[in-house]
Amino acid sequence: MATTKKYWKSTAQLDSSNEMIKNLEQNEFAAAVPTDEFLGNDKAMESSSTSRRDFLKYVGFSTAAASLAACEGPVIHSVPYVNQPESIIPGIANYYATTIADGYDFASVLVRTREGRPIKIEGNRDIAARGNANARVHASVLGLYDNNRLKTPLVKGKESTWATLDKEVRQQLNANAGKQIVFLTQTFASPSIAKLMEQFKAAYPNVRQVTYDTIGEDAALDAFEAKYFSRGLADYDFEDAECIVSVGADFVGDWQGGGFDTNYAQSRVPKNGKMSHHIQFESNMSLSGANADRRYPVTPTEQKQIIAALYSKVAGGSANSSLSDKVSKAVEEAAQKLRRAGSKGVVLCGLPDQGAQQLVLEMNERLGSTIMDTTNPILTRQGSRSAVNQLVKDMESGSVGAVFVAGVDPVYSYDGSDAFAKAWKKVPLKVSFASRLDATAEQSDYVATTPHYLESWGDVEMKKGTVSLMQPTIKPLFDTRQFQDSLLKWSGSDITYKDYLKDSSVANGSSWNQSLQDGFYTASFSETLGGEVQVPNINNASALRDLSAAATNGGYELVLYTKTAMGDGTQANNPWLQELPDPITRTTWDNYITISPKDAEKLEIENYNVANGALDGSYAIVKMNGVERKIPAIIQPGQAVGTIGLALGYGRTAGIQEEMQTGVNAFPFFKDGISVQSVSVEAAGGVHEFACTQLQNTMMGRDIIRETDMATYLTGNKDNFNPMPEVSLNHIETPVTSPDVDLWESFDRSVGHHFNMSIDLNACTGCGACVVACHAENNVPVVGKMEVRRSRDMHWLRIDRYYSSTDSFEDDEAKKDGFSGLFGENGSLGGFGELEIPADEPQVAFMPVMCQHCNHAPCETVCPVAASSHSRQGQNHMIYNRCVGTRYCANNCPYKVRRFNWFLYNGNDEFDYHMNNDLGRMVINPDVTVRSRGVMEKCSLCIQMTQMTILEAKKDGRMIKDGEFATACSNACYNGAISFGDINDKASEIYKVKQQDRMYHLLEEVGTEPNVMYQVKVRNYNN
Amino acid sequence: MAHYEASIRRPLITGDKTYADVTRDIAFPVEGPANKQWWLVFTIALIAFLYGIGCITYTISTGIGVWGLNKTVGWAWDITNFVWWVGIGHAGTLISAVLLLFRQKWRMAINRSAEAMTIFSVIQAGLFPIIHMGRPWLAYWVLPIPNQFGSLWVNFNSPLLWDVFAISTYLSVSLVFWWTGLLPDFAMIRDRAITPFNKKIYGILSFGWSGRAKDWQRFEEVSLVLAGLATPLVLSVHTIVSFDFATSVIPGWHTTIFPPYFVAGAVFSGFAMVNTLLIVMRKVCHLENYITIQHIELMNLVIMITGSIVGVAYITELFMAWYSGVEYEQYAFLNRATGPYAWAYWSMMTCNVFSPQFMWFKKLRTSIVFSFAISIVVNIGMWFERFVIIVTSLHRDYIPSSWTMFSPTFVDIGIFIGTIGFFFVLFLLYARTFPVIAQAEVKSILRSSGNKYKEMRENQPTSNQNAASGDPMAHPSE
Repeated sequence: MATTKKYWKSTAQLDSSNEMIKNLEQNEFAAAVPTDEFLGNDKAMESSSTSRRDFLKYVGFSTAAASLAACEGPVIHSVPYVNQPESIIPGIANYYATTIADGYDFASVLVRTREGRPIKIEGNRDIAARGNANARVHASVLGLYDNNRLKTPLVKGKESTWATLDKEVRQQLNANAGKQIVFLTQTFASPSIAKLMEQFKAAYPNVRQVTYDTIGEDAALDAFEAKYFSRGLADYDFEDAECIVSVGADFVGDWQGGGFDTNYAQSRVPKNGKMSHHIQFESNMSLSGANADRRYPVTPTEQKQIIAALYSKVAGGSANSSLSDKVSKAVEEAAQKLRRAGSKGVVLCGLPDQGAQQLVLEMNERLGSTIMDTTNPILTRQGSRSAVNQLVKDMESGSVGAVFVAGVDPVYSYDGSDAFAKAWKKVPLKVSFASRLDATAEQSDYVATTPHYLESWGDVEMKKGTVSLMQPTIKPLFDTRQFQDSLLKWSGSDITYKDYLKDSSVANGSSWNQSLQDGFYTASFSETLGGEVQVPNINNASALRDLSAAATNGGYELVLYTKTAMGDGTQANNPWLQELPDPITRTTWDNYITISPKDAEKLEIENYNVANGALDGSYAIVKMNGVERKIPAIIQPGQAVGTIGLALGYGRTAGIQEEMQTGVNAFPFFKDGISVQSVSVEAAGGVHEFACTQLQNTMMGRDIIRETDMATYLTGNKDNFNPMPEVSLNHIETPVTSPDVDLWESFDRSVGHHFNMSIDLNACTGCGACVVACHAENNVPVVGKMEVRRSRDMHWLRIDRYYSSTDSFEDDEAKKDGFSGLFGENGSLGGFGELEIPADEPQVAFMPVMCQHCNHAPCETVCPVAASSHSRQGQNHMIYNRCVGTRYCANNCPYKVRRFNWFLYNGNDEFDYHMNNDLGRMVINPDVTVRSRGVMEKCSLCIQMTQMTILEAKKDGRMIKDGEFATACSNACYNGAISFGDINDKASEIYKVKQQDRMYHLLEEVGTEPNVMYQVKVRNYNN
Repeated sequence: MAHYEASIRRPLITGDKTYADVTRDIAFPVEGPANKQWWLVFTIALIAFLYGIGCITYTISTGIGVWGLNKTVGWAWDITNFVWWVGIGHAGTLISAVLLLFRQKWRMAINRSAEAMTIFSVIQAGLFPIIHMGRPWLAYWVLPIPNQFGSLWVNFNSPLLWDVFAISTYLSVSLVFWWTGLLPDFAMIRDRAITPFNKKIYGILSFGWSGRAKDWQRFEEVSLVLAGLATPLVLSVHTIVSFDFATSVIPGWHTTIFPPYFVAGAVFSGFAMVNTLLIVMRKVCHLENYITIQHIELMNLVIMITGSIVGVAYITELFMAWYSGVEYEQYAFLNRATGPYAWAYWSMMTCNVFSPQFMWFKKLRTSIVFSFAISIVVNIGMWFERFVIIVTSLHRDYIPSSWTMFSPTFVDIGIFIGTIGFFFVLFLLYARTFPVIAQAEVKSILRSSGNKYKEMRENQPTSNQNAASGDPMAHPSE
């Protein structure tokens, strides 16, 4: 800044005539500089050894040296945008709506991108029809940055170019045009692909598309097709359900594509004195069974008889069943309750039996169930196992000239796999559309490498009438091309699939851009599916007869299922999912057979804890005509006697990292795509090391998960079902929350925000989406199987699962309270030992636990360096930079939610997961510090998200609206179990929730005053 | 200066020891060459120490994950060893300070080595709070040092911080007390030294002790003042260590009985360790006449009493757990006694409560072999006590879903062995270079409690015929 101020230096300046002042003002140097004297002295100049040239040399050299020295150090090439994209602001996230459709999981999602990188998946809550983002969908973003993805197209196993591949494929296609050309694909449920296939058929007339669901729903699809003349699955909206009877259907899990749990969870929260009543008959302990009010472990054969018996009671007809008295009574009760519920009742069936499925549809029709929707069916499963079997036969006979495989890996997943692999070799042109070198791609002539769904265009009609759109959120990382683009190219078209998609999308009254922004559009299609019905209708009476006559042929019944974490195994290379504990067994990095305690005892199969607490188990040999596998066994309370469970999707080896090649491939047992098989089981030698995140399975009769039944809840007397713990103050019982019994001085928390979180134990189904969301949001490291085995899992948020030790949790508590003395029948010495062991048919309860953000936090007082301290907003801070790692805080945490960085988990070859390679690190959330070794970490209530909300509002100069505050888990919980907000906002949802009668704090009596609260779980026994 | 001592009191210095004998006997291990056994034991200790250094280096370079700890059990062998070593360190100060104040003269034969043991074991103890940190290079953050990190300061609420003060105070006071006592003895060795090197070194170590009356007067004063300072420390250090647990909320830790219980336990284990060391040392250094059976017996009595106090504390804990009516507390103690770590609990009970009761028998408490065996047993028991308190309380606390177990790795074991090695390296070096008995002090009781003088006195007629010529015992015939 220029200044006109004049600064006086002396009084002499006042005299303008002062010569000396004038002189000084005009000359920089008071005395003349003797330049002439210096330069004129030739003698001295010449005698100097430094010439002018030398001088310049020195100057030049030292300048160069100085600048070179300054150039050292790491050079990071950050290339600025030539044109700054309008939408990308460093530090600000962008959200895009897109859709995942990997053949097993279908969901409308929002993708959070930062600086152009997709880093997180969230559910798209705007879409009304289906499309919930489960744990696998949340984890799918990591698949984008998978180091084992193929990076170029492959020709005969060698890296090649698209030009070569196109040329050769078209050549061969023309050469084999006389034979059948088959597309063996996943269920796309894509209107545009269907159109595209038609177009391709125009170019090559003998093209046939065979849809193959890795884990198909043939029985249900056939039953639906036979009854309603289109190939789809009935949809169910449980929100208003009053009675749900499920026979072998894990509808809270992945039954028929999953996604029913949101509405189910709504029905489980008591509203206006009502909640649904859920009866579950099943073999494996599933999420549905765990959430049910009544659960009966029965074998699949019994399930058939149950369907028959239930049908005869609901819809008439006679069924002579040989069911046990207990089960018959249960069926009688179920029928009664269904009849009472009428149109609010619904029956579900998970049996791989068309007759059973048909009877169930019929029963729901008879009930007039409004829960079931058959007019707009679910279209995410359309595969036909018989068509695939026919294809294998055709390939074997040599009548197939070319097979294009897209989205499926039949060499891995088709039962026995040998059958497919053998036939596959006889096909002259084998083209695989795959993003990794999976088992099928390995044996293909050409691999047309496909991009990740976050790099792709597409459309998916998950439920009839609503089309979700898929749009790229990042430029393809590798030299990949979409299946659809290849199809267009080979059919001779020269438009891109993006344009094709845009042209073929006909939305009802919304523009393309609007649809894309929403992620979906609604449309009314003319009937495009199932023109002619190919499935024979089974006569109800004969189905009833067959079912009631169902019998076992001895041995064990193997019930194949899919795990919450792994699904059909498409994402087996995803370390987040490998480390996500199974909600029931809480085992990571593995599959295993689940066997009932009784059978385990009979077969001498053991599970036991070793010195460091980790679980070890016996192996079992499972045999099924010709197939024999040695599989580790977990003793599963609640498993029906005479059955074993085994998860599909594991045991992949092709194209995935060695660490992820976990478990046993169960597909050889998945004969003809039927999930129930008859097998023999025997104990085998050897010990298997499991990696479980929970080793004590019962609650020991403690007041951890509060439960009550509907009848008690309806009394409205809080003391009956949610009493406040009390302590004696001068012999007067005083609530522990009273300030009179508080040792602490609290500061005023009424100013500013104060965050609280509520977890409704009724709405939590245990699905695990929050766990993965937390992983992704907070850069939680993956530690691998051996570290989990050492009880060092890093999950900030865990979902505890408890089994009751007696028939119910209530009885557990009664038993504990009934202890008297140390010895004897009611002695606590033996009694606690008994309470440690889960019952054979236990009740199950889930409880998500994260840092409780105690206002009186035990961790905060004990840290010697104050690295754990409290914020004005209620959050308990963990200051990583300050932490010296004494672990005192973790020891003193009653909730055991603190996690220690035992090793350096990033950039460490010992932990070769996504944080150890440049590609995988792209998923890291830049808003959250990646922790170094030796520091403690834990849930922060997503402070980066709440602060962002506050800053945004501050920038806009407005108040924060209720619902703006969120955490990764509360966003991920589409079941509405987790709510979060500012308790100081008296109008907020969280404030209302806190006033509920069901509200309690975990371990209230310790006096920690947590900011996380729970809502008492209510079971509706509906007696 | 010699008090009269009743003749029924057994002499504290046996054998016909004169002042010159005392000097010779005590200077002998320092001046003589080391024997083979010393080298053998020293080599073993050194190897163990180096192995421990290896394990510590591995831990610090790789991460605490090389130990067996987990999300539920955040402390195990590290803090067990810490408390164990601090506990052992208690005997020294108790013997030199408390017994000084109580004028127990028998302490004079053992206080030097007991204090050496204290200092060496506190060094071992001090190691653990540092290396158990996830980031030990930032250990100085637990000190309230003015810094430029902003407003960061230590958290005075944290018992770990109190530990820092307690341990460092204890170490410095013990060290000063020990060194003060060493001054005249170093001067003695300096004066006897033959080589200029030795003379120089011991000259420096003795801080220029001249032996003038003023030196002695100040020596006595400082000793008394330091004894007064150190006495509360005997109680405070382990009290504060026990606060690490007592102020927490974990069932099994949250116990008001801990301070006295820990102090008793510390004295208990400290005396056991003194017994372990001195029974060997008196043999090896031929000090049987100074560290007599009577000394061992007295220490055994202290062990018996403190062991019984500890036993009462254990039972009180069980009673309080029942009486409290807190189910978590009740289960914590039930689990200790009957859970997966019951073997540790019953080892502790056997070693700490049962085994000292043998000391009621005079025959057993005066048996050297038996005393040595019991001293080892007690030290094992006291290690288990800390293990039981730390691990069995943590491994099953409030929320059953987090229950797990702990199993040590070779690194856990290696570091513990390393500290034992380090301790013995220090102690063996000490035994070869320091006067292991406070000879100046022993000389002060030689006349009253030395066997020779006692006998002389008893053989004297009661009416002193040679009174005029002075005390004949001042110049006994040599």
